[in-house]
Amino acid sequence: MRTPRNQFSLAIVAAILGLLVIVQLRTQSTGAGLEALSAPELTVLVANLNTRNDQLRAEIATTDQELRDLQGAKARGETSVDQLRLDLARVRAWTGLDAVTGSGVRVTISGPIAAAGVQDLLNELRNVGAEALSVADVRVVPGTVVAGPPGSLSVENRTLSDPFQVSAIGNSATLTGSLLRASGIVAQLAATFPQVQLTVVPVDVLRLPATTRNLLPAHGTPQL
Amino acid sequence: MTAARRLLRSIPSWQVTLAVALLTLGFLIATQLQTEAPRARYTSNERIPLVETAHELQTQQDGLKQHLLDLRQQIQTIESQGQGSAVLSHDLDSQVRQARTDAGLIALQGQGLVLQLRDSTKPSSPGDNPTDYAIAARDVRTVVEQLWLAGAEAVAVNNERVTVSTAIIDIGGSVLVNAAYLSPPYQVSAIGPAGLFDQLNGSAGFRKFVRTRVEAFGIQVGFAELKDVTIPAYAGVINLRYARPESTGPSPAP
Repeated sequence: MRTPRNQFSLAIVAAILGLLVIVQLRTQSTGAGLEALSAPELTVLVANLNTRNDQLRAEIATTDQELRDLQGAKARGETSVDQLRLDLARVRAWTGLDAVTGSGVRVTISGPIAAAGVQDLLNELRNVGAEALSVADVRVVPGTVVAGPPGSLSVENRTLSDPFQVSAIGNSATLTGSLLRASGIVAQLAATFPQVQLTVVPVDVLRLPATTRNLLPAHGTPQL
Repeated sequence: MTAARRLLRSIPSWQVTLAVALLTLGFLIATQLQTEAPRARYTSNERIPLVETAHELQTQQDGLKQHLLDLRQQIQTIESQGQGSAVLSHDLDSQVRQARTDAGLIALQGQGLVLQLRDSTKPSSPGDNPTDYAIAARDVRTVVEQLWLAGAEAVAVNNERVTVSTAIIDIGGSVLVNAAYLSPPYQVSAIGPAGLFDQLNGSAGFRKFVRTRVEAFGIQVGFAELKDVTIPAYAGVINLRYARPESTGPSPAP
């Protein structure tokens, strides 16, 4: 062990040992990742990622144009008030701070559905591109949750009657098709809650009210 | 016996060390090969490019989101510099900033809670569905909903901000939030009032989650109450194609 040759041999073995330990640990940690998905699941994931990336590129193009307009206005010494107004209207409408109108679908629910069932429906509507949602004329915003036992559901401290309606603004054909497809959310809810009836109707003009909820953070500080 | 001892003593200590190291090396190589073996069974020609494409698209998405956040930050900076009528512009700018904060387009920092959800390590009982032992989108949604009901004012899942448009869905055994693929374990972070965890833990909905998922299937839930939690800004689409605003909100000061 005293000779440099022996020390060199031991160092090589130790290095290989270390490398293998790292490879093994990494292998274990990625076991539950993409490699665990089947080919059909990966295909759905890739489609989702593609759609999302396309949407992000479109949003970047719009935002980039907005930035260039602002920079141009600033360079010319012009007012940015109009741009601010547009920005404000867009953000407030998206968030639910202002009422919005548009085409979409109305889902009428009657019977003893569980709160989780309504939450699943809202989640699916968001997933298929709904831009604004309301439950019994209560605008759905961050923090809005349908709660309570079946038959006594409430949203934002407002009791839901039987029947009640969920409204969604978006592409009415896409929304209707997604909700009503075989093994879609309506079929799933009908199977889970056999006593519940769900009716989906495309609507040309829906009006969703503004939220009454105060969304301004009271405990967090904005990182501007 | 004495001869054997003598023989052992005659072996230099460095050779013993080397032998132990080689033995461990052999064990690790065997373990590595065994770990690779089951994965190789699931690997087909069509899956390899799909996994690579998914990784590539997720990396692209991370870059696009960062680009979008940078652009929004630049717009915010210009808007806050207030061109034109100073009073009007300043008032509008503060309204835009408030609306962006309400929307989740600005990161938030404050006291809160982080819950970590992990798959069960319990072996599944005969007749049980093995997927019941893994975290599903429904579990993540339940925790997020219960946090909102407990008084949380901002929530994120693995750094994906939960906003008005956030969907949390399953794809196979994985969870997508804001259409971003998230790897387990899932960390649900929330900012809220002091005692947020007590409020959550005392709620009937969370107790039901613990009873039906943690106690029944061994889903692991850890938590940490922290003085400083950061909920990142939402980096996604806010363009409305079908919904038209009825008004521009409160009128600016004259």
